[in-house]
Parts: sequence; structure tokens; C-alpha cells
Amino acid sequence: MIVCVAVVGHQNNPLYIQSFTEADDALKLHHIVHCSLDVVDERVNNPKKSGPTLNETFLGLLYPTENYKVYGYLTNTKVKFILVTTDLDVRDVDVRNFFRRFHAAYVDAVSNPFHVPGKKITSRTFAERVSNIVKSFGLSSTG
Amino acid sequence: MANYLAQFQSIKNSCDHIVIAVEDVSDLWPTVKGRFDERLPFRRACLNNKTRNPVFVENLNAEFILTTDSRLRSRFPQEQSLFWFREPYATVVLVTCEDLDEFKTILKPRLKLIVQNDEREWFIVFVSRAHPSNDSATKSAKKVYDKVQVEFSTKKRERCCKFDIHGPEALFWEDLESKIMECVRNTLDRRVQFYEDEIRKLSEQRFMPIWNFCNFFILKESLAFMFEMAHLYEDALREYDELELCYLETVNMIGKQRDFGGVEHGDDQAALLNPGNKPLSQIVQDDSFREFEFRQYLFAYQSKLLFKLNRPFEVASRGYSFVISFSKSLTLHEHKLPFCMREVWVITACWDLITASSSEYKAGVVAPDIEKEFYRLQGDLFSLGRVKFLRLAYLVGYGNDIERSPVNSASLSMLPWPRPSVWPSVPTEASSEVLEKEKLILQTTPKTKHFGIQRKKLPLEPTVLLREANRRRASLSAGNAFEIFDGHSVMTDGSGPDGSSKSPNPQKKVGISMSRTFSSPGNFEGPPDRPMRIAEIHVAAQHALQGTISDEDLWKSLSTVEEFEKKYLELTKGAADNYHRSWWKRHGVVLDGEIAAVCFRHGNFDQAAKSYEKVCALYAGEGWQELLADVLPNLAECQKMLNDQAGYLSSCIRLLSLDKSLFLNKEREAFQAELVRLAHSELKDPVPLDVSSLITFSGIPGPPLELCDGDPGTLSVTVWSGFPDDMTLDSVSLTLMATFNADVGAKAVRSTTAVLKPGRNTVTLSLLPPKPGSYVLGVLTGQIGQLRFRSHSFSKGGPADSDDFMSYEKPTRPILKVFKPRALVDLAAVISSPLLINEIQWTGIVVRPIDYLLKGAILHIDTGPGLSIEKSFVIEMESCANLSQSEPDTPNSSGSQNGSPTAYKQSEQLTLEDGKVNFPDWASDVDSVIWVPIWAKSDSLPRGSSSVSPQRPNMVDGMRTIALNLEFGASHNQTFERTIAVHFSDPFHVSSRVIDRCNEGTLLLQVILQSQVQATLTVYDAWLELQDGFVHAGRGDGRPTLVSFPLAVSPTSKGGIIFNISLGRTIGKDENGAEQPESILNIRYGISGDRTSGAHPPVAMEYSGSDSARKDLTFRSVLVLQRPVLDPCMAVGFLPLPSVDLRVGQLVPMKWRVEILKDMEDKEISKHNEEVLYEVNANPENWMIAGRKRGYIPLSKKQGSRIVISVLCVPLVAGYVRPPQLGLPNVDESDISCNPPGPHLVCIMPPALSSSFCIPV
Repeated sequence: MIVCVAVVGHQNNPLYIQSFTEADDALKLHHIVHCSLDVVDERVNNPKKSGPTLNETFLGLLYPTENYKVYGYLTNTKVKFILVTTDLDVRDVDVRNFFRRFHAAYVDAVSNPFHVPGKKITSRTFAERVSNIVKSFGLSSTG
Repeated sequence: MANYLAQFQSIKNSCDHIVIAVEDVSDLWPTVKGRFDERLPFRRACLNNKTRNPVFVENLNAEFILTTDSRLRSRFPQEQSLFWFREPYATVVLVTCEDLDEFKTILKPRLKLIVQNDEREWFIVFVSRAHPSNDSATKSAKKVYDKVQVEFSTKKRERCCKFDIHGPEALFWEDLESKIMECVRNTLDRRVQFYEDEIRKLSEQRFMPIWNFCNFFILKESLAFMFEMAHLYEDALREYDELELCYLETVNMIGKQRDFGGVEHGDDQAALLNPGNKPLSQIVQDDSFREFEFRQYLFAYQSKLLFKLNRPFEVASRGYSFVISFSKSLTLHEHKLPFCMREVWVITACWDLITASSSEYKAGVVAPDIEKEFYRLQGDLFSLGRVKFLRLAYLVGYGNDIERSPVNSASLSMLPWPRPSVWPSVPTEASSEVLEKEKLILQTTPKTKHFGIQRKKLPLEPTVLLREANRRRASLSAGNAFEIFDGHSVMTDGSGPDGSSKSPNPQKKVGISMSRTFSSPGNFEGPPDRPMRIAEIHVAAQHALQGTISDEDLWKSLSTVEEFEKKYLELTKGAADNYHRSWWKRHGVVLDGEIAAVCFRHGNFDQAAKSYEKVCALYAGEGWQELLADVLPNLAECQKMLNDQAGYLSSCIRLLSLDKSLFLNKEREAFQAELVRLAHSELKDPVPLDVSSLITFSGIPGPPLELCDGDPGTLSVTVWSGFPDDMTLDSVSLTLMATFNADVGAKAVRSTTAVLKPGRNTVTLSLLPPKPGSYVLGVLTGQIGQLRFRSHSFSKGGPADSDDFMSYEKPTRPILKVFKPRALVDLAAVISSPLLINEIQWTGIVVRPIDYLLKGAILHIDTGPGLSIEKSFVIEMESCANLSQSEPDTPNSSGSQNGSPTAYKQSEQLTLEDGKVNFPDWASDVDSVIWVPIWAKSDSLPRGSSSVSPQRPNMVDGMRTIALNLEFGASHNQTFERTIAVHFSDPFHVSSRVIDRCNEGTLLLQVILQSQVQATLTVYDAWLELQDGFVHAGRGDGRPTLVSFPLAVSPTSKGGIIFNISLGRTIGKDENGAEQPESILNIRYGISGDRTSGAHPPVAMEYSGSDSARKDLTFRSVLVLQRPVLDPCMAVGFLPLPSVDLRVGQLVPMKWRVEILKDMEDKEISKHNEEVLYEVNANPENWMIAGRKRGYIPLSKKQGSRIVISVLCVPLVAGYVRPPQLGLPNVDESDISCNPPGPHLVCIMPPALSSSFCIPV
């Protein structure tokens, strides 16, 4: 289950964080997203390590923790998308697919002339679209 | 083959170096052994790795063993092939022989026998015992050695070397070592080949039923071990890696249910770095090994090799992944493992990995990025261990001591509870502990957040422990969930102890006894009769853990809260420190926050504040407000405790400036109340505070305020207050920055107390006179009590944008423009034409404001000498609409009485006080004229001009000045000074001419009146008071003749009056005693003019009303008449020339008439009476005189006698020449009146063309 998706600006400022948990524990997801920026930073700052994936937007699994997985995606404008999922068996293809759709949604949201670049995304349409993407996560390829 | 495991292991343990066999043919070994052993270990060797590439290894350990040694002798052939790695890698055949025959007969066959075994790599060391001084012995030894070489060395391979015991050794050792290495290399290659073949064979059968992993393992590990012995660690590691892969591939093959292992005592302590933890024979199962032990075993070997390769980083990195993946395996088998075995194992594994890798790690050896990565892994290991440790602590009831922070919540709430097959129950003897625990739970008061912030606590548990534990206890059905929650509520509302007094079901004892080996889940007997309470769960977990944990250190850490906290701090600090040294700063800082929480609990506020500050800075720096809102109150509380007022205040400000949705309004009000309370009461000294995030400001939209240089003004700014409530500011001031120059920036404007409402406020600030330039907003500062706040942030017309955490962008729009000094007003005289002197006249001063308001302006009027302001009359001020810029058709002016002053011609009467005139309001923005009644006085009478005194009156005489000083501007800070010149003059300029009427001595006095003013003058009357020596002719009343009054004189035109006068003496005048030296012309006149164009009727007259009461003015002017000084008695007149042209050479009669004007009885004009001497003077170059030039002419002395003198002259040159002149030498020049009076010229034409030099007569 996807518990959280986030858009983080190029100054590492949160632009959009949506958690999909029942409990009132969004803060811990904020923490996870925030800390995962360490990994994103590390990968971005150490292009040696990332090697062939240098030009790849999909950063892959950021965190190999036991209990949840954090995936990252870096757009060419240095906006990061973070996905936190408690599914431990996630297929890379699904995540890539998810991020691609999420990216499209993000691009549409920030293309809104009333959106101020670098500001939080408050668009309700975007939120709806994101929750649809989240709901359909994994369905397309598994089903 | 599996039977060999034990043997294999013991061989491995006993043998860790390569063996070199020594075949001591000639019993030499005892003598050379010491020197051979000295060479060990081999410092440098070149071996081939698995891919047959040469690899240099160092310090290769080896041992020389005699072939007769028991270790080499007593081996079965099968063993030999299986454990081939321990067989000698080279055979050194040690021989000596000094006799050639002996060699041939005895030694050679023996040697041949020894070396016939192809399997062995051998070479011969020929030891020469001959002393170098013993020549023959040396020679024979050499001979034998040569023979040996011939026999055993081939072209391909040199198999002999010679060791001179008494000779130089260096070369021999080199030779020996290279030969040994050659052998070792060859042997190694062969054996590797052998093992590889074997392994390949086995691998191919991997998926067959007969497959036996143990066999494969022995082969594979033998190979690995051989590599290790040869110091080819890389290859050894690769073998282990392959082994692991193969194991993982086969171990989980479907259909093969194996024991996992891990149920033995001590298994909870990770043995992933301890290869000798358990003998292999113990962990073997069927044809394979137990996963639990074996995987740790493999990892232990891998890490051992990695350490040998000096790669502790890799140990950590592989170790971390291993722990994670192994933990997963443990999860799969959790139901068979002791309670919380997984957690305990992970903790110990992490701990082992940390200690081992960090002790092996030498900082600075590896590349910086590897180093960072290493520390990151250390941090990861620390935090992984920390999380598991927290989980255990929570289970035993230290949950209240665990900070419910995001980091803990993130790691714990997503970590599932342990899943034993049956949740442990409370042992019977533990009822007192349960009671105690319960008491403890009741005593702990829930921690409240500072400022009374109420938040739902973050979960530390994936699900409610109570429910989970009870669910896991055998067969509590789903229907019991209600009961569970009921029990929970009972517990929480304090009636819990009742339940705890009941002794738990004795059946549970079984559970406890089983708790160490939950190998068979079905063992649990009987369903528990009621759900456990939370205290019971804790106690039960504690007991169960005691059974699981064999590590005393870990158990101690869980035994008391204090120990727990100690360990917790240790782990957290370890993680934080390592993260700080890695790339993962955020992780480090966040963990610092956890340390801070512990410090805070223990009253170490200083440390806590420092750490919290770091955390806050991290979150604030990147705008993670939600997280910041969680930590910031803690920081504030620390600062409060530390009495760090500045910090505390700033924290309050930061709390207030966080997104409004993050706190309740009540909480925000509490922050503000704290701020105000501190500011007004507790602060001793003023504290500076940056409130940029809370109070922002911007200019009023629209064009900037424009000011003239030196003008004060008021500036309105919009201030957005982020305070939840009204905020009273004791003072506010604003600094403006000049855009042109950053240095000369600051101009403060001040305002008094202001109350800021939440949201938008408009604050009006008074502006000190700034320098010219344009200004943008700078800093807003102010004071609240003892609090000096300042704000640097500018809002863009909205409230402080919380997202804009980094934008302190300067607004570029100027808010104020101060113009360079310029003319703000102009004062000028309305007219330049002269006014009437000695009369009260209006002088107009035009006041023209130049884009500037003259509100409340004061005009100082100071007249210069000879001019005074007539105070009895008021000053008039009127607008001159025609001059003002605005058109009179202002739309809104109609109807409103005071709509636009410029639309109407305004007029007002003002009074002069102390030389000052105050401007009315309407005159502030329109051009206006001030009419001031002035009176220029001149005592002297004007003098007319005549031929006698031809000078005209000087203009300067009529010049007067008025010094004007206008004070204006908002605070009369602007002044404008100007001195204007006013020109005054008499109405007329009088000039006169006197003409002899040649009749009875009467003279005609023509008086010409020239108007000097821009007004029409009307002369009503004129009379002349004559001076002595003259008398009026005619009627004698002094009135002019021939003029009809009134006589109008237009501006700048002339009029004339003629008086008849004659020379004479008035007797009567003498009686007065005063002689009148000058004549005076009196003119009664009127003036009709406009003050806007020039001279006009005097002020007094204007007020007197209509024409009927007209009051004529009188003008007096002095006329100077002079009696004639020259009185010629003769006149000489040049008679006109004939009308025909004068030509050169033509004879011209020149005629003069001489006339006696008056009787010349008394004058002697010649010696001869009645004769006058004449003389004709001419330039001889121009004239030739044909007659008498000089002679006497008869002339009577009687008046009226006349004579004409005629002289013939011939002009000689053409052109304008002076004609001959007649002079009367005997007569005084003054007695002669000449006509023409001066020299004159006549025109002479050139001679006619036809005539040459012939002069016609």
C-alpha cells in the first residue's frame, strides 16, 4: 500500500505531501520523506555512484529498510518525487509507471498559470489525480 | 562425504599455510633447517589466481616439513585428494655429494626414484659443504653439481640449485625462492584446476535428487581455503560468494522442509562474525546445513576475508544487507523461534558489525566517498539496532520513556509486532511484578507539550499492543475484540488493579516454560480465559525476553529504565555521529533531536537546546513546517528553562510565523501572550528580535510618495501582522534605503504607538527630511516593551508567505522619491512698466507655485529705501486663473461651493502683519497675485530737459526694490527669497524749446510732454511759474496759449504746450525776497490705467469711488530757462549755389551775405568806420579763388544794414569738398552767427567728357 507520496522542490522544500494512512500520523511520513532527501542528495552529488543511471529520472529504491520502501524520482528541474510504500514486494516497473504518471500530473499542475513556481501545490485537481494514481498503483501490471 | 565435515574443519583449523616438503636425501636438513626457516614467510610471491592471472602476494606463510614427518606420511589417498589443499605444494630435494662415483651409483637412482612422481613439483638443492679455501673439494662438488644439472634439469625447466654453506648466500636464496614459487604456482594451478573440475561436476547435478550440498560445500570451501592459504583472498571471497549463492538457491527448494535452526541457547546472539561459533557437524542436516547457522557461517568467512583484504567498509555494507535479509528469513520462521528472537538477533548482529568494522577501519585510507559511505552504513547499523532495541523496550513497558517523535514513530509504527506462535503469558510468580507495573503505568502522567499544545500522539506501535497480544494468545476470537477494548478502558480508567489481583491461569506456566523453544505451536494448552491487561503483557514479555536473551549486556539494558536509557542514548548517539560524518546529515540531525529529548528529560537543557536548534534549523532551512512545528515548542521550552530570553522570544516568533493551520488559534494566542508578557515584564534589558517572518510590510500600491528636497512628509505603509491577536507596538520606525547608493541608505521614519490587528494594517509614519533620491523600503523596526524587533521581509501585497522561506528579495519599487532641489515657487513682479512716483500705487507680485503646494505659506515683504508699504490699505490677493495650469472646466466643481478654487477667480483681502502676509488656503496650488500698495517717495522735482539741460532723467532714479521672502512647505522648511525691482517714474518727461518769435522780444516756449507710463494721461490744466528774468507774455496767468484742455496723452506719445514768455524782470517777485532760480511747470492731470499693465490711478483715489469725485493729480516739473549767453551782432550767411551742377574747372560765384543784426555802436569791428575786413579761406588744392581773397567791405553799423560778398571760385577736384569760407577777422567770433553754423560740403562733378584740359571761360 502506498502510504505517502510527496513532491519536494529543488531547494528540498516540500511542495506537496499526501499521506494515505488511516491514522493521524502524517508527521512520521513527513519525516521519512524528509530524510529520504539525504539519499537523493547523495545520489545527485555522487554521480560516480549512480553511474549509468545518471540521466535516469527514476532513482529507484532509496531505502532498503525492513518495513517500508522509499522510492525516488528526480525530474530535470530537480524536483523530487518520493513514494513511501509498505508493500515489500514492489515491482520496479510498477513504480516507474507510477512515477511517470505522477510526473505527468505534476507537470499539468504546475503548468497552471495560477500556480506560483516553487510554491506548494494546492490544486485540488492535482490531489484527486494523485489519489487516483495511487489507487491504481500496481493494478495495471498485475491485473 | 558429509562425514568428513568434522575432519575438514579440524584440518582447516590446524593448517593455515602452504606446506613445502623437504626430501632430505643426505641428512642435511638439521644443519640447514634454521637458515631455511629464516626465509619464511616469503616476503613476495607471484601466484596465479583463478583466472590464471599473475597476482603478487606478500608475506606468504609456509612451512618446510620433512617428507618423513608423520603429518605427511599417514594420509590415505582419498583424504589426500579431498583435502588436497593441505598437501605439500613443492618438494625440495636436499642432496649433497662430493664424489662423482657416489653420485652415479647411489644418489642418482635414488633421486630418480624420488622425482618420478609427476604429481609433485620438485627441485633439487645441492648443498655444497666445501669450504671455499678447500679448492679440490670445491671443484669436486662443482663437478657433481654439474652432473646433477645434466641429469635433472631440462631445457624447459631448471630444477637444480646449489647451496654453498660457506659461500655467499644471497643469490642462492633468491634462486631458491623463485624455484619454490614456481613449484607452488604450478601446484596451485593444478589443484585449482582439479577442484574446479570437481565442483563443475557437482554443480551440474545440482538439481538432481542425489545432490548433496555438503559435498559441494567441502569442495568449494577447500578451494576457497586453498586460495586463502595462498593469500589469494579475492578468489577465496569469490568462492564463498558462489557458495552462498548456491546455498540460497538450493536451501529453499520446494519440497525440502528443513530445520531453520536458531532455537538453541545463545543463538539469539548473532554469530555472523564468528566463523567458529558452531562446528559444522552440528549444523549439518541431511545433505545440507541449517540455514540459521550456515548463513552466518558463510558471512563470517566472507567478512574475515574482507577484513584481510582491508575492506571493513564492505563488511559493513554486506553486513547491513545481510542483517536485513536474514531478518526477513527470521520473520519467516518466527513462529518457531523464541519470543523476539529476531529483534534480539538483529540488535546483536548490528552491534557486532559495528564493533568489528569500526575497529578494523582506518580513517583516511580509503577515498572520501567510500569513507562517507562507511559512516553512513555505521549509522544505518546503529539505527537498525536502535529500532529493534526500542521495540523490545516497548514490549517490556518502557513505552512511556520513548519519545513519540516522528523518527521513532516512522521506524516503530511500521515495524510489525513480533509474531510468536503464541504470545507469552504471565508466569504465576510474577503477579507482584504485574502489580508494580500497573502502578507505574498509573503513575506516569502523560507528557504534555509546552504551551499547552494538544496533539494526537504519534504511534509507536503498528497496532494496539493489547489487542495484538491478546489476539496472538491462542484462540481469542474476533468477537472478543470488544472485550479487549473494554479491558483497555478498564485499565485506563484506573480500575485495573482489581483484575491484576487475580492470579493468572496456572496453565500458562507451560507457556512460559515453552517460551524459550516455541518449536511446536500446538503445544499450548487450553485457551486463556480472559484477555491480558497491558501490564500483564509487559511482564509476560519481560519474562519471555529473559528466556530469549542470552547476551547479559543486552538483558541488563532492558532490566531498568535507567539502563535502557543509557543504551538508547548510546545507540542514538552512535547513529547520529556516524550519520554526521556521512552524506546523510538530515538523519544525523534528526537523531540529535532524539538525544535532545533525553537531555531535556534529564534537565540538561543546555545540550538539549543546542541539539534542538540544529534540528529546527534543518527543518526551517528547507521549509518543512510540519516537522518544525513538532520540534520548535521543545526548543522554546529549553530556552525558557535556560532563561535565554532572546532565544525564547525568537522561538515564539518562529512558532507564530509557522503556517497558521499547524496550530490552533488558542495555541497561537498563547505564543503571543508569552511574547507580550516577556516583553513587558520580565525583560531587564532590551532584546533584539527578528520578526521578519511574522511582520511583513510593503508600500501602499500606486506611485511613490514624492517629496521635494527638505520636505518632511508622512509615509503610509501596509504592515501585515501574523499575530493571532491585536498587537500593540510601542513604536514603529522604518528605514528606507536609497536606491542610488547603498551607503547613504538609511533614513528612519517614525511613528508612535501602533496597534496591529491580525492581517493587514496601514501604519502612517512621519518622514524626516531625506536627501534627494529615490528610496525603497528597508527595515521595519520597533519596540514592544523591552523588545526591539525588526523585520526585513517585504510582502507582495499579501500576508507573509510561509512558503517563501528563503526569499528576502528586495522590492525594487521605490516608495519615496525626493527630488533634487529645484525651484518650487516663483515670485515676480506683475509689470515691468513704471508706476507713478510719489503716489500710492499697487505693485503686483505674482506667486507661481511650481508643482508644489503653498499651504500656509508666509510672505515676508521688505521694501527697500525710498519705498514704503502703505499700511492704511489692505493687501489684495487674487488668483490669476489664466496663469494656472488647470482648466476651469473641472467637472465636479459645479454645484459645490468650494469645489475647485482654480475654477473661479478668487480674491481675498489680506492684512500685513509685521511685514508678513499669510497665504489663504485656496492660494496653495494656483498662481496668484498679491497686490501691495506702495509709495515710492522722491523729494526732488523732476527736471525737464531742454537745450540748456539736455540730459534725460536717469532710469535708476526711479528704481525701488522689494525684498520678498516666502516661507512655505509643510513645516515652513522651504524658503524662497527674491528681490524684485519696481520702476517708478513721473508721468511725463518734459522737454522744452525756446524760439524767438522775432517779434517784440517774445519767445515761444514749447513744452513737450512725453508720457512715461503705460496709461493714458489727461492733462486738464498747465501753468508755468517762471523764473527770474522771464515774464509771461500775453495774459500773464502762466497758462499756455494755443492749447485747448483737456489734452490726452497716450502711452509713450508726446504732447506739446506752448507758452509765450519774454525776457524781463518781475518787480513783484523781488518783494518776496526769494528769487526763483528755476521755472516750474505745473500740470494738473488725470490718469486712467490698469494696475496690471502699468501706472494707474493712486490707491486712495480708487477707493474714493466714482469719476465724479475725481481728484486730479498735479505734476510739477522744473524747467530751466536761460537767458541767451551769446548775442551775435552780425550774421554771415552762405547764399545758395546756383542750381546747376558744379563741375571741375567751372567758374562758380560764391556769395555770402553779411548783415548787422543789431546796432554795433559800441563795438569796434574795424579800424575804419563803416568798413569790415573779410577774408575768404579755401583749400588751395580744391579751389582756386579768382577774386580778392581779402579786403574791406563797406558796412554801416546800423542794425539791419547788409551787404553781399561775391567771390569767383574754380573747383579743382571732383567730389564732396568743403566750399570756401568767409571769415571776418576783425570781428569777435562770438558776435557772428554763421549760417550754416558749421563746416559743410558741396558736390563737385567731374569735368565734362568732351573737354580736355581746356577750361572754358
